[in-house]
Amino acid sequence: MTVLRPSLIGAIVPRLEDDRLLAGQAAYVADIKMPGMVEAAIVRSPVAHGIVEEIEVDEALAVEGVIGVFTADDLTEVSPFPDFHPEEFVNPVKLLPLGGGRVRFVGTPLAVVVAGNRYQAEDGRDAVMPDVDPLPVVTSVEEALAPDAALLYPEWADNRLTVYAPQSDAVDEAFAAHQVVSGRYGFQRHGGVPMETRGVLAEFRDGRLTVWSSTQFPHIARTLLSYTLGLSEDAIRVMVPDIGGGFGVKAQFYPEEVLIPWVAMRLGRPVRWIEDRREHMVSSVHARETYVDLEAAVDSRGRFLALRGMVYQDAGSGEAIPAGFAPAHVTAGGLTGPYKIPLAAVGVTSVVTNKTPSGAYRGFGAPEAAFAMERLMDKAANKLGLDRLEVRRRNLLERSDLPYTNAVGSEYDSGSHRLAFERLVEMAEASVARWRKEYEGVPTVRVGTAATNYVEGGTPTYFGTTGHWASQDAASVRMNPDGSVVVLVGVQAMGQGLVSMLTTLTAESLGVPATDVRVVMGDTDRTPYSLGAWGSRSTNVASGALEKAVEEILGKGLLIAAHLLEASPDDLEIQDGGFGVKGSPDSRVSWKEVATTANILVMNLPDEVDPGLEATAFYDPPGLDHVPDADGKMNACAAYTNASQAAVVKVDITTGHVELLDYLIVHDCGTLINPLIVEGQIAGGIAQGIGGAILEEFHYDEYGNPQSTSFLDYHLPSAAEVPPIHIEHIETPSLLLPWGAKGVGEAGIVGPAPAIAAAVEDALAEFDIEEITRTPISPPLVLRLIQRAGRADSVGA
Amino acid sequence: MRPVRQPTSSLRVSVTINGKLTEATVDSRLLLADFLRDQLDLTGTHLGCEHGVCGACTVLVNGDPVRSCIMLAAQVDGMDILTVEGISDDAGLNRLQEAFKNRHGLQCGFCTPGFLMTLSGVEPSDYPDEESIRELLSGNICRCTGYVGIVDAVKEAWGRI
Repeated sequence: MTVLRPSLIGAIVPRLEDDRLLAGQAAYVADIKMPGMVEAAIVRSPVAHGIVEEIEVDEALAVEGVIGVFTADDLTEVSPFPDFHPEEFVNPVKLLPLGGGRVRFVGTPLAVVVAGNRYQAEDGRDAVMPDVDPLPVVTSVEEALAPDAALLYPEWADNRLTVYAPQSDAVDEAFAAHQVVSGRYGFQRHGGVPMETRGVLAEFRDGRLTVWSSTQFPHIARTLLSYTLGLSEDAIRVMVPDIGGGFGVKAQFYPEEVLIPWVAMRLGRPVRWIEDRREHMVSSVHARETYVDLEAAVDSRGRFLALRGMVYQDAGSGEAIPAGFAPAHVTAGGLTGPYKIPLAAVGVTSVVTNKTPSGAYRGFGAPEAAFAMERLMDKAANKLGLDRLEVRRRNLLERSDLPYTNAVGSEYDSGSHRLAFERLVEMAEASVARWRKEYEGVPTVRVGTAATNYVEGGTPTYFGTTGHWASQDAASVRMNPDGSVVVLVGVQAMGQGLVSMLTTLTAESLGVPATDVRVVMGDTDRTPYSLGAWGSRSTNVASGALEKAVEEILGKGLLIAAHLLEASPDDLEIQDGGFGVKGSPDSRVSWKEVATTANILVMNLPDEVDPGLEATAFYDPPGLDHVPDADGKMNACAAYTNASQAAVVKVDITTGHVELLDYLIVHDCGTLINPLIVEGQIAGGIAQGIGGAILEEFHYDEYGNPQSTSFLDYHLPSAAEVPPIHIEHIETPSLLLPWGAKGVGEAGIVGPAPAIAAAVEDALAEFDIEEITRTPISPPLVLRLIQRAGRADSVGA
Repeated sequence: MRPVRQPTSSLRVSVTINGKLTEATVDSRLLLADFLRDQLDLTGTHLGCEHGVCGACTVLVNGDPVRSCIMLAAQVDGMDILTVEGISDDAGLNRLQEAFKNRHGLQCGFCTPGFLMTLSGVEPSDYPDEESIRELLSGNICRCTGYVGIVDAVKEAWGRI
């Protein structure tokens, strides 16, 4: 049923979340205090690889305020984190909350010190003396795969966490018959780095454990707590307060999320741990350290006929839950992107090294894929003597190609791949012309641009969180007697505006004012079981469930309203705030009257209608495969957002410094529910993509010592590095998902690295530099390319 | 010459916070940010890095933006401090806060108080164009917005759009 009033969909509306955030009234984990609460600090391994010989705690116990110090020896009742993946595919890591035997990265938690306050806990931490006998380290994929490499897991055959090596005769035949373009394209180690670090507060009272955690998946956290602590799930309540950014880093389950609850149970009092920034940089997941050996069979017109290759990923120590190799599979599967490449056989080799575990970060493998594919496409253009834009035109999906099932089984039901690209090219050409004029005659400056394309799969099915392919979610909707509505969902807000989105959709479908809707999340006691917030899924899966629950309430409300109006349900329509008889403006009944009847004045209900006005619905997005077919093909996402991006860059040829002058994107995520929020997601993703492309890197020395442990040596982009971002939309609605929205959370971050790399090459065209094959595109890298091209001495400087 | 103070483990401070005179005993090593957050329950000031880089903990001390994570509570004796809790109008959000809301200048909200306080402590005329606004904002890190909404919010609040 349609509501007869102006639609809320597509309206630019400020967010409902904002007032309290702006007034300093938010409550993040670090803002919550409990009576009798004590604080924890964690002793971490100073050694990248070694065997824990002894952890001396007596001195710490004597520190003022210290209440207890616990090591692995105290946690004998705690079970290892479940290794969900079958051992024939993925080696098990058997992670425990505290390292007792072998440590595999600097930052491994070894002991927890509890004290009256954090200052005292840190004093105690500094007094703990862990004795770790060092072992040889491996710090790169090459070292890990060397025949004589030290093994991180002696029980494994080698340092491979998982290997997937597809074979295809059809692919091999294409390569035998056509010319081949190949390259190795790599991303450096970086990550989500939210402004709020992680934090856990736990209390055990009356036989129940309550855990406040900065997590993107509260129900998954509850299930994993149950596995590890041996409590039944009904004895555990996970609460999520405000989250200060997640970006996938908090869609992992960490040792501290078991350790702190265990300490709270042991001590019988609330315990809080707030990660400090140094801890975050060494113990929260890193991501992206990947290179792709990629080759393409290409015909003489520049059409890509087949892809072959291997994605090599440095998964760090491998001690991540969900396991950290999954993004590498997304990289392998995402390479064909928006292009009509009929064949592909790209494998994955994920190896462990003595570095912080690798895990989720916004984009989840897609940025690595786009970088490799777009770079290879530029290389093919150069080799064939074709224009870079023209090569893309010859491979891009046209509207007439849709629906399209690609080489790995992804099903694109709709999109605007070619259209978005052509519009973007217009925008980029106008922008670069303006900027070239601006810097005309400046001898040290060159300006360039480039256009790149990608698709971002969203609302996926995923194995790692539960040990089974799953994509479902749930919502409960309850109407109170006064007509106000409570929506309970397990997906989790972390800044992405989910409360506003779900409030809007509830108000839209019920015909009630948004001010009458309250969305509740972050409480496993109140909300139905959910897989959480990741994979650009939350609005789609929650609204799918919401729609089903709302249907039920609408149906019941209609019967009640018809009874109250003494009319036939067929003669009623939903009006703003209630129901009315079609064509009779005076015959109407408000939702409040309907809800009061349903909940209190039940004697007035029609005979066939039960009291109450609430519904819970579960929703599994349509069109997904949950099992790969015999060829390994699988449609793993319910929708595929497409976009084209261009960077306009200024390169200083004397310093190699790359400055972004302008950033342009044409984006198609289907229906825009609230353009303000959609553009915020896109711009935020682009800024993070820029950071990864030119600034951010977790460095390690040859001994596995982390060198980027503060914001002084890990450079996040500021307002001075991120340029103005110009966004245009095309709306090609999803044919499958409710409201036609396709998901936007991860899309912006996919494009910047290839766009900037190609724009720098464009700016430096006169020097004929070698191709840029890796990120970050830092001043030393750019300067080296210019110098190698042998023209440095003949230019302006 | 002022008398040299002997080291003590705690001391009394008298400080005006958001217009209200507050007396407290603080540990000598207590950071201003922790004093505000843990002792006075003013948790709107957030800690993002604890080494003075990200700007989330910015408050005004005698009118100037200061990183409260690298200043001691003991240092603010006799001073005037403004935190995010003190900037709203009686009627609700002030003009700057409203502009952040209108322009989607915040997402998770964690860095937001720091941006608001930095902006509350400067003279708009010192930042006449977008480049200088971006330079001003570069001392505060936001990981969510890409700064588009923040820059627009500053322009709106300062009557430039």
